[in-house]
Amino acid sequence: MSFEIPIGPQHPALKEPVGIRVTVDGEIIREADLRLGYNHRGVEKLAEQKTWTQNIYLMERICGICSHSHATCYVQGVEKLMEIEPPKRGLYIRILVSELERVHSHLLWLGVAGHEAGFDSFFMYVWRDREIVMDILETISGNRVHYGINAIGGVRRDLDEMQIKHILDSLEVLRQRSAYYEKLGTTEPSFVARLAGVGYLSKEEAISLCAVGPTLRASGVPMDVRKDDPYAVYGEVPFEVCTAETCDVLGRTVVRIKELMQSYNIIEFLLKNLPAGPIAVRAPRRAKPNEVVSRYEAPRGENIHYIKSNGSDKPERVKVRAPTLANYAATIKMLKNGFIADVPLIFAAIDPCICCAERSVAIVDARTEQEKIVTMSSLRELSLKMTKHQARKREAEWPL
Amino acid sequence: MNIGAFIPELLRHLFKTPSTIDYPFKKLEVPPDFRGSPYLRPELCIACRACERDCPAEAIEITLTNEAEKKFKMVIHNDRCIHCAQCVDSCPTEAMLMDNLFEISDYDRHHLKKHWDFVRAVVKPKAEPKS
Repeated sequence: MSFEIPIGPQHPALKEPVGIRVTVDGEIIREADLRLGYNHRGVEKLAEQKTWTQNIYLMERICGICSHSHATCYVQGVEKLMEIEPPKRGLYIRILVSELERVHSHLLWLGVAGHEAGFDSFFMYVWRDREIVMDILETISGNRVHYGINAIGGVRRDLDEMQIKHILDSLEVLRQRSAYYEKLGTTEPSFVARLAGVGYLSKEEAISLCAVGPTLRASGVPMDVRKDDPYAVYGEVPFEVCTAETCDVLGRTVVRIKELMQSYNIIEFLLKNLPAGPIAVRAPRRAKPNEVVSRYEAPRGENIHYIKSNGSDKPERVKVRAPTLANYAATIKMLKNGFIADVPLIFAAIDPCICCAERSVAIVDARTEQEKIVTMSSLRELSLKMTKHQARKREAEWPL
Repeated sequence: MNIGAFIPELLRHLFKTPSTIDYPFKKLEVPPDFRGSPYLRPELCIACRACERDCPAEAIEITLTNEAEKKFKMVIHNDRCIHCAQCVDSCPTEAMLMDNLFEISDYDRHHLKKHWDFVRAVVKPKAEPKS
């Protein structure tokens, strides 16, 4: 007898609202279905009303963990639209922050994996060490989460000798700790037994379901935007693409720990070869009518922004494809034929960021429950009709 | 594989000092570039409205209060401010700066509003940054 269990949209195992409906046969999941759209904020629509500069901060707020990746992806695209080339030093600092962000995101994930596997002391130790990289980011940018380091045409804050020394010193501690976690993650028997064989995704399935990031690399496919289509200065930075062959959650853990080690090497290389010179160039306020696609390897996988300009100081369209969205199809596959107790672990293993991925809306009739496909222009008309009589934020009475 | 690989680490931590601090009694130092709340040095403001235009949160308002005397009023809505310091970067005369306060919560959002009444400064090529 099969039985349907809803997990979410509000569930202790999930950090963010997403609905998973699993059809179980005893303990085994036979069918899984994802329900999305609980966290839609209309960021893309809002981006059309803000100028190019204001949008950097809006894009940064798509996600809390990979804030820099969305901002960089957007800024790269806008720089291409405005036909400006940021200086070398600016690019070095930009990808330095992006690697630090990768370290902080992977350490966060490692802690979450420990927590989901029931290894809570591991979780606490990892998160304590994550504070080191958060402090580095705070000294560089002045903020801990939304660094706001990007500007169109470069970066906003420069590095001085003291900061470089501080980063290199802290990096040594992080290296030691990560080496210990690597040893622990692959030898601690209870931890390995919990992770090995869970959420199997074969190499062929990973490719055909378009998985991205560590999920794909853990299935043995060496695919990384930093290597395949080097943006910024990744062409001149030596690093390896880390893969694992086990195709399960253990493999994803190993890939992330290996990537941590690679990130430390990249950070050290960047700091030792930091070129002198300006950090930013002046950007125009308007961009010529054009369209651009920008790719970026976020900690969770490939991030794509599509930006269209119409000659004004505001974008006509910004479309965000967050890495989590690409991994959803693979998640369904991983959940099938697994145990119900593995759902949080498998779902956490793709490092889901729901607020990143909630980009589209489906119009569902409340009475008939039928989904409607609406064209962009009619959706636009509807939104204009709905917001016509609303006061602008500036004119609104506070508190609302 | 060895059983209890984590135990030596756990035992070592028994004798370590806590890695957290007693927050309300002891406070961490913020870095020099910390982004607190923006404030205005009215003697340098030329009312060019660059900050108002670039503010992503629409938190800055500059209004002309007296046209004859060139008097302006600037309101910073700190309840909307996202502490990105874009106004500091946009300001051509370094009239906007960030402080380093981080305990800025309040029960009433109206108390977070800051305003300055000032006469527009004479246009200078580059203001002397104050130490």
